[in-house]
Amino acid sequence: MLNYLSTLYLPGAVALWAALFFAVTTIVGYVGVAGGGTGDSSSLRFARRSYDFFAVSITLAALVLGLLLMMRDFRIEYVHQYSGMDLPGHYQLAAFWAGQKGSFLIWLLWGTLLGVLVRKSAGRNEPAIMGIYTMTLIGLLFILVRENPFVMLKETPLDGQGLNPLLQDDWMVIHPPIMFIGYAASAIPFAFAMASLFRRDYDDWAARAFPWALGGFLVLGCAILMGGYWAYKTLGWGGYWGWDPVENASLIPWLFGTVLIHGLHMERTKGRYRRANYVLAALVYLSVLYGTFLTRSGVLADFSVHSFVDLGISGWLIALMATFFGLAVWLLATRLREVPTKPNEDPLFSRGMFLVLSTITVLVAAVVITFGTSAPLITRWFLENPAQVGPTWYNRVNMPIALLIALLLAMVPYLTWRGDDAKGLLRKMIVPGLFGIAVMAAAAAWQVRDPFHLLFVFLAALALATNLHKTVTRARAAGVGAAGGYLAHVGVGVILLGILASSAYDESTKVTLQMGTAKKVGDSTLTFTRYIPRQGREKERMEIAVERGGEKFFVYPKLFMNDRTRQVMANPDIRSTPFQDLYVSPIDFDPGQPQVQLAKGASGQIADMELRFVGFDLNAQGNAMAQMAAGGMVTIGTEIAVTRNGRTATLKPVYRLNPANGAVDTPPTDLPGGGAIFVSGINASNGEVQFQVTGISNPPKLSVDVTRKPLIQLVWYGLYVVLIGGAVATFNRLRQVQKREAVLGQQ
Amino acid sequence: MKKTHRYYLLGTVLLLAFAGFSLSSFKETLTPYVNYKQAREVDRVVQVAGALEKGSSKYVDSEDFLYFTLKDPQTKESLRVRYKGLKPANFEDAISIVAIGQFDAEAKEFEANKLLVKCPSKYQGAEVKEYS
Repeated sequence: MLNYLSTLYLPGAVALWAALFFAVTTIVGYVGVAGGGTGDSSSLRFARRSYDFFAVSITLAALVLGLLLMMRDFRIEYVHQYSGMDLPGHYQLAAFWAGQKGSFLIWLLWGTLLGVLVRKSAGRNEPAIMGIYTMTLIGLLFILVRENPFVMLKETPLDGQGLNPLLQDDWMVIHPPIMFIGYAASAIPFAFAMASLFRRDYDDWAARAFPWALGGFLVLGCAILMGGYWAYKTLGWGGYWGWDPVENASLIPWLFGTVLIHGLHMERTKGRYRRANYVLAALVYLSVLYGTFLTRSGVLADFSVHSFVDLGISGWLIALMATFFGLAVWLLATRLREVPTKPNEDPLFSRGMFLVLSTITVLVAAVVITFGTSAPLITRWFLENPAQVGPTWYNRVNMPIALLIALLLAMVPYLTWRGDDAKGLLRKMIVPGLFGIAVMAAAAAWQVRDPFHLLFVFLAALALATNLHKTVTRARAAGVGAAGGYLAHVGVGVILLGILASSAYDESTKVTLQMGTAKKVGDSTLTFTRYIPRQGREKERMEIAVERGGEKFFVYPKLFMNDRTRQVMANPDIRSTPFQDLYVSPIDFDPGQPQVQLAKGASGQIADMELRFVGFDLNAQGNAMAQMAAGGMVTIGTEIAVTRNGRTATLKPVYRLNPANGAVDTPPTDLPGGGAIFVSGINASNGEVQFQVTGISNPPKLSVDVTRKPLIQLVWYGLYVVLIGGAVATFNRLRQVQKREAVLGQQ
Repeated sequence: MKKTHRYYLLGTVLLLAFAGFSLSSFKETLTPYVNYKQAREVDRVVQVAGALEKGSSKYVDSEDFLYFTLKDPQTKESLRVRYKGLKPANFEDAISIVAIGQFDAEAKEFEANKLLVKCPSKYQGAEVKEYS
C-alpha cells in the first residue's frame, strides 16, 4: 500500500480520492432525502454541501494537473508522456487533454461544474436528478482513480516525450475541451429523464431538460464544426469529414440529440412524444458512452486514423455502459406504460405527422451510422478477421436519408397542426418551388447530370426557401425568438447543398511541380516559385504562384519535419473564393540531388539518372598503391553504371589527390545525354564514394495534391446558421422556463 | 383496415427495404483484413497489413505508380503492391502499412487504392510502459 502511495503525486491523487468520497456522500445525502420533497431538511443540506466539496475537489485535481503541466514537472508520468521542453505554453496546456487520463479528467471537470447549474434548475426532483447525475460522474471518477493521472516515475527525466506533432495545432487547444462540454452535457437530460421515471413524476422534466438538451446540442455541434475545420484546414486530410470512428462517436449523439430536441418540442407544444422522449434522452447519453468505449478501448485501433492506446480500461467502460444501460432499461420497462400519452390521430398532411416522420428519419440515420461504426465488432461474429466499412458505404446509405429529410423539411413550414389538404399545400409551395427549380437548373447548367443529384439539389433548395420564408414571417409575427427552429432548418438546406457540391463534384489532381516550371492543373496554372526555410516558429513553407482566369495569387502549403519524431508533417493551404476553394496539399518535396553517396555495389538516384557504384579501379592510371608508396599524386579510379532514359553506360571517373599537401583533382567525365559527373569525395573509413553531377539542371521538385472544392463554404455557413438558429431557440426556451418558474412561484 | 394502419404498414415496408439496402451494401463494401494468401485468392476489396521491405519501394514517375513489397512480420511472406499515387509522407519510416485494394491476378500484384501509414510516434503511449 505504502509502495503504491509512493508512486503517486499526492496533492493530485488526494484530491481525486476526496472527490470520490464526497461524491459518495452526495449520493448518500440525496438517498436520505428520498421520499421527501425539496423541504429544507438536513439531509438535503448535507447532500448539497457534499456536492460542493466534490466539485471543489475535482477542480483542485484539474488545477494540480494543469500546474504540473505548466511547470513541466516530468516526474509525473502523464506530463512526461504528453509534453516536453520544446512545447510553447498553450500546447503545454493542450497536453492536458492529449492523453486518455487527462481527457477523462477534463470531461469530469466540466460534468462536475455543470452539475452546480443542474442542481439549480432541478426543481422538486432534485434528490433523484442529482443522485443519478452524480452517479454518472462517479463512473468517470472510478476510471481516473484506477488509471491515475498523478502516477510518478521513479526518476525524473530531463525532458518529456513531447506532444504528438499532429496535435500541435491551435485547434487542439480549443476543440477537445468544447467536445467534452458536449459529452458532459449529454448526461443532464438523461438524469432528468431517469429521475422523472424513478419518481413517477412525468410532467415536470421536459420543460426543465429542454434548455439543457438544446445547449448540449449546440456545444456538441460547435465541437463537430471545429473538428471538421481542423481536419480540412490544417491536417490536410482532404475534407472535413472522413467517417472515422472518432468523428462518428461525436456525430451519433448529436443526431440522437437532434431527435430529442424535436421530441421535447412536440411534448412542450402538443403534449406528444411523452414516452419517446425518455428513450431518446437515454439514447443520447448511452451513445456517448458507447462511442467512448469504441474509441478508447482500443477495439478499433486498426481502423482509425486517430491513435488509440489500450489503457486496460475496456472492462471499466463496459461496466459503465452496462450500469446505465441497465438502469435505463429497468426504468423504461417498469414505468413507461404509465406515462400518459395522446394517441396519434393526426392526418398525414399535418405538421405533427411530418415532425414524426422527420424525427424517425434522423433516428434511422443515427442507427445506421452506429451500425457502420460498430462494423469491426459486428463482423467478428461472421468473419475470421474483423472488417470495417469505408466512406463509400456511409455516403451511399445516407443519400436516401438526406433526400427524405430535405423533402420533409421543405414541407414542414407550410403545414399546420390540424392538417392541410394536399392541394392547398402545393399552392403555397409554388414560389419556393420555382426557386428550387431555378437552383436545380443552375446546377444542371454547371455540371450536375445525375438525376438523383438534381433531385437532391431541388429538395435542398426548396427546404432552404420554405424555411427562410417561414423564418421571416414567424419573426415578424412572434419575434425573433420564435423563429430559431426555422432558421436552423434553413441552415440544413444550405449544408446539404454544400455537402453535395464539395464532395461529389470535387476535382483532385496530384502533380509534381519542378521549381520554376509552370504547370496547368484544371483552370489554374501553378508554378513552384521558392522554398522558404524555417523562420522562428514559422515552419518551412513552399511558395506556389497560381494564375487563374487573370487572377494571380500565392499559396503557401507547409511541409516540415518534426524535430523530435522525424515525422514529416504537411499542412495544406487553401485559397477560398465564394464559389470554390482551391486546396493545395503538399505530399513530397525533393530538394534536387546534385550529389549522392554510395558504398560499393549500392545504387542511388542522382538527378534524372540511376547510378550504381560498381567498385574501385586501383589501376586506372598506374597502380594507386605504388603511387602512394612513392609519394606524390595518387589516382583512384571508380567504375560506375549510369542508367539514363533506359540506357546503361559504364563510366570510370577518377579521383586524384596528393596526400602530402592535400591537393585534390577531380576531372569530370562526360555523361551520355549531356552533363558530366565527378567524384567529389571518398570516405576512407567506410569506403563510400560521393559523386556529383554538373551541367544538368536538376531543380527541386514539389509534389502536391491540388483539389478544387466547389461551394464547400456552404457547409460552414450552413452549420453557422444551424447553430445560430439553435442558440435562438435555446434562449427562447430558457426564457419560457424562467416565466414558468415565476408563475409556479406565485402560486 | 384503418387509414393510420395503412401508414404504419407503408412505413414498416419502407424501413425494411432501407434496412435491406444498407445491409446488402454493407456486405459489399466491407473490407476484411486478410493474410497474403487469402488476398491472392479472393476476388474482392480487402485490406492487408505488413512491414515495408527495406529498399523495395520504387516510384515510377511516368505512370505515377508506387511499387513496394510488404512483409508479414509473423509468417515472413511477402506481397508486391502497386499503388496509383504519390508516395505518402513518412512512408519509408512506417512501422506498419495497411493497403486497401484488390489482387490483380494478371500482374500478380496487389493493387492498392488506399494506403494507411502507421508511424512509430502514434504509439508513443504504448512505448512509455518501460519507464514505470
